[in-house]
Amino acid sequence: MTPPEMRDLARRLLACEAVAGESSEPAESALLRVFEKLRQSLGTFAGVDGFQSLAFRALTQAKSEAPGLWAVQVDANGSLQGLGELKPQQVKFEPQLGSDKDQASEGGVILIARLLGLLHLFLGEAITLSLMRNAWPGATFDDRVAENGRES
Amino acid sequence: MSTQDKVTINKLPTGVPGLDEIVGGGLPEFSFNIIAGAPGSGKTTLAHQFVFANATPERPALYFTVLGESAIKMLRYQQQYTFFDPAKLPGSIRFINLSQVVLEQDLGSVLKEITKEVEKANPAVVVVDSFRTMVRKPESEMELQSFIQRLALFLASWQATTFLIGEYAEDELRDNPIFTVADGLFWLRQTTERNSIVRKLQIVKLRGQDSVPGLHTFRITDAGVQAFSRTFGLTARKRNPPSGRRLSFGIAELDKMLDGGVREGDSVLVAGSSGTGKSVLATQFIAEGVRQGEPGIVAVFEERPEAYAERATSLGLDLETPQKDGKLTILYLRPLDLSVDETMQSILDAVQKIGAKRLVIDSLAGFEMALSPGFRADFRESLYRMIFALTGIGVTILSTVEVDESFTEFPFSTYSISFLCDDILRLRYVSIDGQLRKIMVVIKMRGGNHAKDIREYEITSKGVVILGKRLTNYQGLISGIPVHGERSDPQE
Repeated sequence: MTPPEMRDLARRLLACEAVAGESSEPAESALLRVFEKLRQSLGTFAGVDGFQSLAFRALTQAKSEAPGLWAVQVDANGSLQGLGELKPQQVKFEPQLGSDKDQASEGGVILIARLLGLLHLFLGEAITLSLMRNAWPGATFDDRVAENGRES
Repeated sequence: MSTQDKVTINKLPTGVPGLDEIVGGGLPEFSFNIIAGAPGSGKTTLAHQFVFANATPERPALYFTVLGESAIKMLRYQQQYTFFDPAKLPGSIRFINLSQVVLEQDLGSVLKEITKEVEKANPAVVVVDSFRTMVRKPESEMELQSFIQRLALFLASWQATTFLIGEYAEDELRDNPIFTVADGLFWLRQTTERNSIVRKLQIVKLRGQDSVPGLHTFRITDAGVQAFSRTFGLTARKRNPPSGRRLSFGIAELDKMLDGGVREGDSVLVAGSSGTGKSVLATQFIAEGVRQGEPGIVAVFEERPEAYAERATSLGLDLETPQKDGKLTILYLRPLDLSVDETMQSILDAVQKIGAKRLVIDSLAGFEMALSPGFRADFRESLYRMIFALTGIGVTILSTVEVDESFTEFPFSTYSISFLCDDILRLRYVSIDGQLRKIMVVIKMRGGNHAKDIREYEITSKGVVILGKRLTNYQGLISGIPVHGERSDPQE
């Protein structure tokens, strides 16, 4: 199972991007933007292959939790493909986040949470959060969020 | 050109304890350096220490990784070191992977990519790890030389201090264009000697800087690389002129034999066989110093500090109180694989910490045995460097050494180190009137008019006590088997 603190962090990132996007756009657009920002940020320092490996591993793990991700693939450049095939039941409203823009795919949450989980595993909390702050300069990431899975 | 017209080259801290001294005070700013060595020799760790010591958000460090260790794994391991501050990532320290460009494009594209990132970030420090993998592709020599030349010029113009890290073998040192272009060349070596690993660092070249030549031991601990300068960090210090002051042993008769005591800043060797009282004399010397307000260090190898202090107590000498007061440190040094330079650095650190004026090394045999076999070959040379450095700043050193008792010879030391000593005091057993008694004699005292007398002594509850007058009724005392003479004592 994805650790709750990673799911929480993933939800926050998806919510950030949902707010940034159009209200009418599908939930997977937020997932795509989060994933793309992570790809850019991690790809710079880990290389395309480095990111692709992590993303592939994260997707494999996520698929075992969210079968609706069956059609999603990570291509050689580390980009996500097949998101359009995401099953509707995998798209879930997050009532605590308040608006239509805060919609996020549960499958997407799991995928991002798995990717963050791998980063956390390999790099530790401090560096993972540093990378997040760099990719989302406007967002606030409290260390305790990752530690407790709750906002301070 | 006067001194004031010359350009000042700023020196940057290396972030590696001991290395600033070795490179002559710090790494020249804007220099283009190579760190070379075999895998596992500490190249990446050394570069990280430099990066963490110098990167700021305004002038960050760019760390380009190429094909070797993945950045994720590198960070995973490097963050275990205490110098690693995750808060510096990615604001002050930015990792950029160049693998794709290197794999798919030519050196020109690599240079273009580095240029783009440098122009964007305006870094103070640039590292390329591993540079070797970048230039391993079959490029023409001219193309490679041109690339290195342009890279060095560009990075210097952008006021970046650069490290290129590469796995090079020693025989590649010649005819390699990269070494010609480099301002600094740091070579890290790691060899196995019996059961020990010996790590050594050499500054093969460093332009514009008075670096310390030779091979310097280094160690990698949880604090990263720590280097031990061959000069123990004391080269910058001015040698003190001899004060002419005499230091007492706290034994009046012995002080008389030494023309008033040991000269301050001398190196004294007390040589004798087991049980002759070398350690007792050494303890009295250090205790007398403390009594006179001179802080002291005792480096022991054969017994624990508590036992050493207890033995002093049995002689009526209090070593506990000065230890508590910070006037005395008893160092117990029994590391099994430390280099001689590391061990000596521990002594030097202790000397400098309490401002010691007297140092006892008890004993040289124990010191040598505490070192791993691979380092024993360096023992004499390192000892010489340490004694020279410490006596130069006015520390008086007393070393004890055990010598095999012989009744046909009169050796001063089994280590051929008497040339290191200003003064030599020899203790030995002698067979007199059916008793095994003890005699001492001052063999040598550089620049002093010491007594020529052979004196008998005893070890009592008050320590070494010199008995009566010189022994005049015996011939051949130093042989250990004297012959009773007929003449009477001329002093009587």
